[in-house]
Amino acid sequence: MNRSGAKIVMEALVREGVDTIFGYPGGVVLPLYDEMLNWPQVRHVLVRHEQCAAHMADGYARATGNVGVCLATSGPGATNLVTGIATAIMDGIPMVAITGNVNSWAIGKDAFQETDIQGITIPITKHNYLVTNIDELPQVLAEAFYLANTGRKGPVLVDIPKDVFTATTSAPFPTTISRRGYTVPGAPPKDQIEEAVRLIKGAKRPVMIAGAGVLHSGAMEELRYFAETTKIPVINSLLGLGSIPRDHELSLGMMGMHGEATGTLAVQEADLVLGIGIRFDDRLTGNTSGFAPKAKIVHFDLDPSEIGKTVTPVAWVVGDLKASLSAVNKLIEPQDRPEWLAQIKKWQSAYPLIVPQGRFLSRTVLKALNDHTKGEAIVATDVGQHQMWTAQFYRMKKPLSFLSSGGLGTMGYGFPAAMGAKFARPDEEVWAVVGDGGFQMTLQELQTAVEYNCNVKICLLNNGFLGMVRQWQELFYDNRHSHVAMGSPDFGKLADAYGVQFYRCSRMEDIADTLKGASEHDGPVLCEFVVEMEENVFPMVGPGASNSALVMDPDLEPSEAAHKAGAFETTHAGALHV
Amino acid sequence: MSTHQHTITALVQNEAGTINRLVSLFRRRGFSLASFNAGDCEDPGYSRLTFIVNGDDAVVSQCLKQLNKLIDVIECEDLEPEHSVQRELALIRVEPTSEQRAAVHGIVSEFMARTPRTTATTIVVEQVSDVASLERLIAALMPYNVTEIVRTGTVAIKV
Repeated sequence: MNRSGAKIVMEALVREGVDTIFGYPGGVVLPLYDEMLNWPQVRHVLVRHEQCAAHMADGYARATGNVGVCLATSGPGATNLVTGIATAIMDGIPMVAITGNVNSWAIGKDAFQETDIQGITIPITKHNYLVTNIDELPQVLAEAFYLANTGRKGPVLVDIPKDVFTATTSAPFPTTISRRGYTVPGAPPKDQIEEAVRLIKGAKRPVMIAGAGVLHSGAMEELRYFAETTKIPVINSLLGLGSIPRDHELSLGMMGMHGEATGTLAVQEADLVLGIGIRFDDRLTGNTSGFAPKAKIVHFDLDPSEIGKTVTPVAWVVGDLKASLSAVNKLIEPQDRPEWLAQIKKWQSAYPLIVPQGRFLSRTVLKALNDHTKGEAIVATDVGQHQMWTAQFYRMKKPLSFLSSGGLGTMGYGFPAAMGAKFARPDEEVWAVVGDGGFQMTLQELQTAVEYNCNVKICLLNNGFLGMVRQWQELFYDNRHSHVAMGSPDFGKLADAYGVQFYRCSRMEDIADTLKGASEHDGPVLCEFVVEMEENVFPMVGPGASNSALVMDPDLEPSEAAHKAGAFETTHAGALHV
Repeated sequence: MSTHQHTITALVQNEAGTINRLVSLFRRRGFSLASFNAGDCEDPGYSRLTFIVNGDDAVVSQCLKQLNKLIDVIECEDLEPEHSVQRELALIRVEPTSEQRAAVHGIVSEFMARTPRTTATTIVVEQVSDVASLERLIAALMPYNVTEIVRTGTVAIKV
């Protein structure tokens, strides 16, 4: 049956089970927006800036594991998606971005609102399409969803000229998708599994670093069984948080530049490091020449190009992580390693994360947020100090409940991502943890939250600075503050103007009540916490330094326990000045 | 590991943007592309490309893996010289003086090159050979007023 390109797009969304899309109309997508009125089963969320449509689609995807969809018009609409698409590719988030373009006969003639969005997004998409033939549209859309959500996931952009939305075709959707040269990784080769198991059985001080790959492949149960059977402690990359409950006895939390000391120290002392669905990025490894100096590295990943990209493993297991860990689990036997686990306990007691008492700090608030939600809410962060503190202090109990722009480090991400998560999982409590800097990049979405009664709770940590940049200026630029002091509007008046419930909290004793009040309010809430201005994130590995040069929190008293923990000479914050 | 030239061939699906995507990968990831050739092949709708890449084994291995990740790339391979035939075509326009013409023809004959077009003042020399032999021919012609050189870049096929 002949139907229009616009109708085919809506059909594709329904076929793929998409219940919500995030978009913004404009000239060339008018035929699609008109058709949309006939499809009440697909909710369209009208954002206030296309970047946030992409971030909401990203949050929707991270909170569910399903493909998030965003939609924009040609030219500036399309280019506004770019930051959100780049955020998604870095973190392997399944997303389909649909853009309109000028009529196909006008392409290349610098028509009004024309831009080469296919060319622009080549380096930041898994794949992209410019569809100039209506007969190809069903196949392209089906393929776009398939590519976005299989193998190493990522954003796929489909650019559709206006005349293709209105042209008609009887071309059917494909019943199966196969693309020559594209195979979805399955179980790894048997010899790779056997070699990994041999190394695991022989290890005395093994650790594993579990990353986002575990969450993408849904291998949480397999990971937990593997850890519990072998008694191998589980460290996380930033985006791997949630792959094991944070209160699990083998969970050591995040490692790396601002990770917990125990994980970072354990990797430096380990004789075997299993990288499970991580890409050994620079924030995790520090200077790679000093990374895990005593360890053999075994890398589990589904993407062959990650093997050997930044560190050199002695063995690797390339395949879907759920299949890989299942295969490993069949060959392992229960092990115990009391000495190694005792050493780790010593580090934990010697170098805990601390919240100095009697001060109104970001950490004070985030510790309280963790206590308030019991680690059961979905938390999306922005980027900067508060992001690291959330990673440190939020002890998530469930997977798909920590959303953060890890790879690209996109300020402005947290609030719209939280909204995307709330649209996807309305029954969950969703918090956005943001700073005063990043929040001002995307706060126009308060209006979107109000219109859709998107019941997100915003924990705004206002320290009047771009805190992480200020911290680096303090540590590496002789404390010369260059353009990091940041003014803000009166957030109370701003919330009033948008009609958003607002609480300002500047006293320690009010924190718990503020959080409680926010949770109990039916609708979006902005909670502003006026925290101390100059608080730094520790532990810290300086940029370009080895993880062995871990700098502990200067407020951490070197205790008797620390001396007993031994094995490591930690440095004082002053050492970072070099 | 020493840096040397690798010959990579790739079979790709020909769509709008494919070549852009391939070349963009080299730029973005900093792989050093010495030459690049694309053309139709035995599969309609597909092209086979030859890239000459400078880099050590680790770089070239990463380059192959990244190429393979592109959805358009069906397969790609690092060809070893002993198991492949590698050729390049060059067109060289020489504008010698009348006294020099005989010398130019002598060089052409010595290198078993061809002269598909000549005029009173110019000789177009055509050569298909391995790169080293081609470089020697060009060097030999340089004293005779070479005014333009056009080269295809290497094309290679596995034996």
